[in-house]
Amino acid sequence: MSDDRAIKWSYMDHWRSNGPSGPVDQWHSHKTMSAFLKQIKATGFDAIDTFDFRIWQMYGDYGGPAKYQEMVRDHGLERIVNTFHAADYDVRNYAPHLPETHENILEDFRVTMGRWSEIELDNIIVMPATLYYDMEPITEDKLKYSAECWNKVGEITAGFGVKLTCHHEFFCGIQSEPDIETFYSYTDPRYVSLFVDTAQHCIAGLDPVALYDRHAHRVSGFHFKDTRNVATGDDHRHRPDSEIMAPTTGKWFYEMGTPQGLVDFEAMMTAVRDNGYRGWISVEHDKANKEGGDYSESTAVSRWYAKNVLEEIYR
Amino acid sequence: MTGTQSGSIRWAYAINQWKPQFDDFVRREQHERALKTMSIAGFEGVELTYGTGRWEPLGNPQQLAANFGSVAGFREFLRGCAIDAVSSWYWDPAERSMEHLTGPLSPLVEADVPEIVAKAGWLAGALAELGGSVLLVRPVPGAGDVEPLDDDALDRVAACWDAAGRATAEHGIRLALHVDFLSALRRDHVPALLDRTDPALVGLALDTGELTAGGIDPLAVIERMGDRIWHVQFKDALAVDDAEEYLKPHAHWTVRVRGGAREVRWFAEPGAEGGLVDFPAVTRALAGAGYSGWIVVESDQSPHPAASALLAGYLVQRELGPILLDQRKAAV
Repeated sequence: MSDDRAIKWSYMDHWRSNGPSGPVDQWHSHKTMSAFLKQIKATGFDAIDTFDFRIWQMYGDYGGPAKYQEMVRDHGLERIVNTFHAADYDVRNYAPHLPETHENILEDFRVTMGRWSEIELDNIIVMPATLYYDMEPITEDKLKYSAECWNKVGEITAGFGVKLTCHHEFFCGIQSEPDIETFYSYTDPRYVSLFVDTAQHCIAGLDPVALYDRHAHRVSGFHFKDTRNVATGDDHRHRPDSEIMAPTTGKWFYEMGTPQGLVDFEAMMTAVRDNGYRGWISVEHDKANKEGGDYSESTAVSRWYAKNVLEEIYR
Repeated sequence: MTGTQSGSIRWAYAINQWKPQFDDFVRREQHERALKTMSIAGFEGVELTYGTGRWEPLGNPQQLAANFGSVAGFREFLRGCAIDAVSSWYWDPAERSMEHLTGPLSPLVEADVPEIVAKAGWLAGALAELGGSVLLVRPVPGAGDVEPLDDDALDRVAACWDAAGRATAEHGIRLALHVDFLSALRRDHVPALLDRTDPALVGLALDTGELTAGGIDPLAVIERMGDRIWHVQFKDALAVDDAEEYLKPHAHWTVRVRGGAREVRWFAEPGAEGGLVDFPAVTRALAGAGYSGWIVVESDQSPHPAASALLAGYLVQRELGPILLDQRKAAV
């Protein structure tokens, strides 16, 4: 942290805007990227998070992560804080609960971390399991194998000065409270951290504040986002997809500050304060554009909430 | 946001871009999201546009009371969104009033003047309660809708706005003439009208986009009439009406809304791609002229209102606000 604030705010870079040929993301052109970064800065965010798969656009369009980060800085933002490693999980070659796929996963991270090594990252974030239906039934052995996999991955990322941190989507194989607890009991706190996504845990039926309080010593970041729905029935194991194709719910995720949100952010921020956390909180509202939503407006409303409500609790 | 506070200049954003059609933007939650968007982008105030009837909840004091309990109740709502004040209210007396059962009013018609003065006072009273300082008026109809303004017409118009300015001054509110690019005052008549008004009662609203679309350089207006500028609106112009389409009758719909024969988009937020206004130069000129008061940023209409507000906020925070701060430091 370069100033005396305990908390700084980073924006997880989901984005859509309307181009002349239809919706585009910010990576469409330098012009759309600049417009995105200006809006993030204008709302008072300090930095951004991004996705691992964007590295090809960084190399292809900007000359690499360091050059892209220069553009971020030119817009008044501090840096890229975290990257999300959105892997293509597959039980044939990439599944943490299947030890025979571990070497492939480890090699992926050796290569990946090398690509990112020209900039300073705090975390590389992973979904720590395959989709739920590819891992079920969830057994203690599978949780243990998964933990062993991430312990080894975390050792690799630590060698690059980056924390390996786990983000438990409601539709992944490690999402229930007992399974999360078992998983962390097998992981090494030196190499595996927890990244609390308030909405994902809430959808999975967990209290994100209680989860955070139990694991605060190994929490390395947050996605502050909201939801209006808790998963029911087979929502978490719907084939082929739960995240945007569940029959019960067309839109799971909403920006912080939304009406009818289920996450108690004031309690969350109080817990962040009381646990003495200092560092970055990431704000996320992926799929904000679904059902008529607008990324610019959702970003403004969420940052308004952080400034006018949460910073009154802890800053 | 402190980055946009520059001494005696305060920044606001105009609400009109959120209401493209009469049945849009009527719900409380829409107002809340728009106001929070302005606030987090660094704007302290909001400029309202006059409207009438139940689908104009923010259009006039009676509708504010109907929707928020009272004018004071609306102020509380604004504060809940971290917006400090209504900076200003834009009113075209040609707009009818369903609340008062009055039709279009014209400052050229002497019989209309008492009602214009009464309405100006009505709006100013509410504006004072909302923390504002300027009532903007459309001083004359569009050029295509009236005969050319001769000296007698200008005298009548000036007398009307002097009287209205006297009424708003009773509430501590200034009255500023907002000359748009369709106005019968376009080009030579602006100084001719201003010269006929009492400088203690009537000022000028400088709208960078309207002037530029009308082929008038806002820098020249600041240089010539800087001491009469009581209000400023920063919007960009994307096209110039160089074919003089403003002379067509009922140009509000065919020229302003539709975009004229070329169907252009006339206006956008400051800094938009293709924008014709040099905002750093205008900002420096205003500071040099000693302007103090609100600068209201607007896009008039926007396909993406939230994005427009945030992009404008970025420009103000990162470029225009610092220009004012630098000039203040240099002056000290």
